[in-house]
Amino acid sequence: MATVLDINGLSKRYGSIQALDALTLQVEEGSIYGLLGPNGSGKTTTLGMVLDVIRPSSGSFSWFGSPISKTTKKRVGALLETPNFYPYLTAKRNLQLVAHIKGADNASINNVLDLVGLGTRSNSPFKGFSLGMKQRLAIGAAMLKDPEVLVLDEPTNGLDPQGIAEVRDLILRIAAQGKTIILASHLLDEVEKVCTHMAVLRSGKLMASGSVGKIVSANEQVLITAPELAPVLQLLERLPYVLQFKPEKEGIVLTLDEGYTSLDINRDMFAQDIVLSQLIVRRKSLEAQFMEIIKN
Amino acid sequence: MHLLRLELYKVLPYRTFWAILGIFMLLVFLIFYSVDSVTINNARLGSSYYQFPRIWLNLTYISSFFNTLLGILIIVLVADEYSFRTFRQQLIDGLSRVELVLAKFYVMLALASVATLFLLIIGFIFGVGSSIDTSVGSMMRHLDALFYYFVQAVGFMALAMLFGVILKKSGLAIISFVAYVLVLEPIIRSQIPDSIDKFFPTKVLSSLTPMPVQQMFDQATSPTELLSPGWALLPALLYIGLYLAASYLLLKLRDM
Repeated sequence: MATVLDINGLSKRYGSIQALDALTLQVEEGSIYGLLGPNGSGKTTTLGMVLDVIRPSSGSFSWFGSPISKTTKKRVGALLETPNFYPYLTAKRNLQLVAHIKGADNASINNVLDLVGLGTRSNSPFKGFSLGMKQRLAIGAAMLKDPEVLVLDEPTNGLDPQGIAEVRDLILRIAAQGKTIILASHLLDEVEKVCTHMAVLRSGKLMASGSVGKIVSANEQVLITAPELAPVLQLLERLPYVLQFKPEKEGIVLTLDEGYTSLDINRDMFAQDIVLSQLIVRRKSLEAQFMEIIKN
Repeated sequence: MHLLRLELYKVLPYRTFWAILGIFMLLVFLIFYSVDSVTINNARLGSSYYQFPRIWLNLTYISSFFNTLLGILIIVLVADEYSFRTFRQQLIDGLSRVELVLAKFYVMLALASVATLFLLIIGFIFGVGSSIDTSVGSMMRHLDALFYYFVQAVGFMALAMLFGVILKKSGLAIISFVAYVLVLEPIIRSQIPDSIDKFFPTKVLSSLTPMPVQQMFDQATSPTELLSPGWALLPALLYIGLYLAASYLLLKLRDM
């Protein structure tokens, strides 16, 4: 699979603040890549740099294997931080302007307006729009010229639950068309629901990256109970793939190494003639996982 | 053309744009109209003021005072791009920084063309109405003053854009621009010999449309040294290039 975006040692320093510290990551074609991190972790800085509006302090990046240029920009649609339009122009005229820059034909404007559900408001001025409508118009603008890659920075920020649902639904519909999507968010829940891959940032540093399943499952826990706890604890000491275990009130809580599941525990216990009375796969709450990832 | 059309999409539906342009035209017209009633040495200036071919010198000289308004219009347009974050978005959507500057430069050329055309029209109206000599030769003589006026208008707008790009906020940029043109540079020039200060930015631009009765003043008071319009042209063009290049460099070096 081709690499869409290749970031290599990208750094940005604002005075004494290191906003991004030597970030290296690759976004593969067709993936939905989540950039996850709390506010101020360097997500927007990263996207701003690869979108040519923030100057990197050091490091490099390439789109489709080439440095950024007019040609690569035409293949990427992006919404960075806020929806940016002329408030006194109507939705349609704002899109006409974007279409003119991107070289998209005027017919696609109506399609895009319908896609983001603004067909009936196309002749209203942008300044009268609600935040959700503005956000959707920005996604629509990014969709003009049918880009291969869509970059969305906090697309659901500040929206009400209905707006969030609408925007997420829109992202999934766009992803179903086979586009690569790069999505920055501070909501693990959002990234987990929408993304195939993710990178976790904290204070400008990359904390983890990989497929969402891998990162999330690394934080799965297994809860076991048995009538006799002593032999269980003895065995757990000897199992190399058990990273951690802690006897708690409701049972023993285990954290397993990557690639191992409750299956392995059950088999090994049984091989030692230990019969478990309870075996539960438990996910930590999303927030707890998130805190754990950014702590380590 | 691609970039000019882009800018037209932005400004044609913009009320502020038409308001400032309208005020400019109205003021130029009113001042030029009312000059008629100014009297010097018990003679009304009017009859001689509107005579071909001198009308072109008078008209461009008077209009030159209102170039500041055109500059303010450019500052408003540039500051808007910052406050709406549309410079940023257009970079993302595919324009280059050179194109951002070029697009605004084309707006300046268009605005200067409109202003020059406006002067041409009211010049003919007033001139034909009150000239004794309405031969083509007489009408066309000194018509080059309009060309110099055009360059001057572009020059003030290019300087204004630089203020807009540096300061980003329209209020601050307008005040700084007006203060520089009307107060700061004249103060600095007053401390510097004429032989040098005639090359100062706004003095070069002003030299393009000199006061038609300069000779009269020169005899009455101490003469001030000015470049002739022809000689001021090259430095004026150099300044315009410099303002555009500086605007580009700022866009390139700063985060958007």
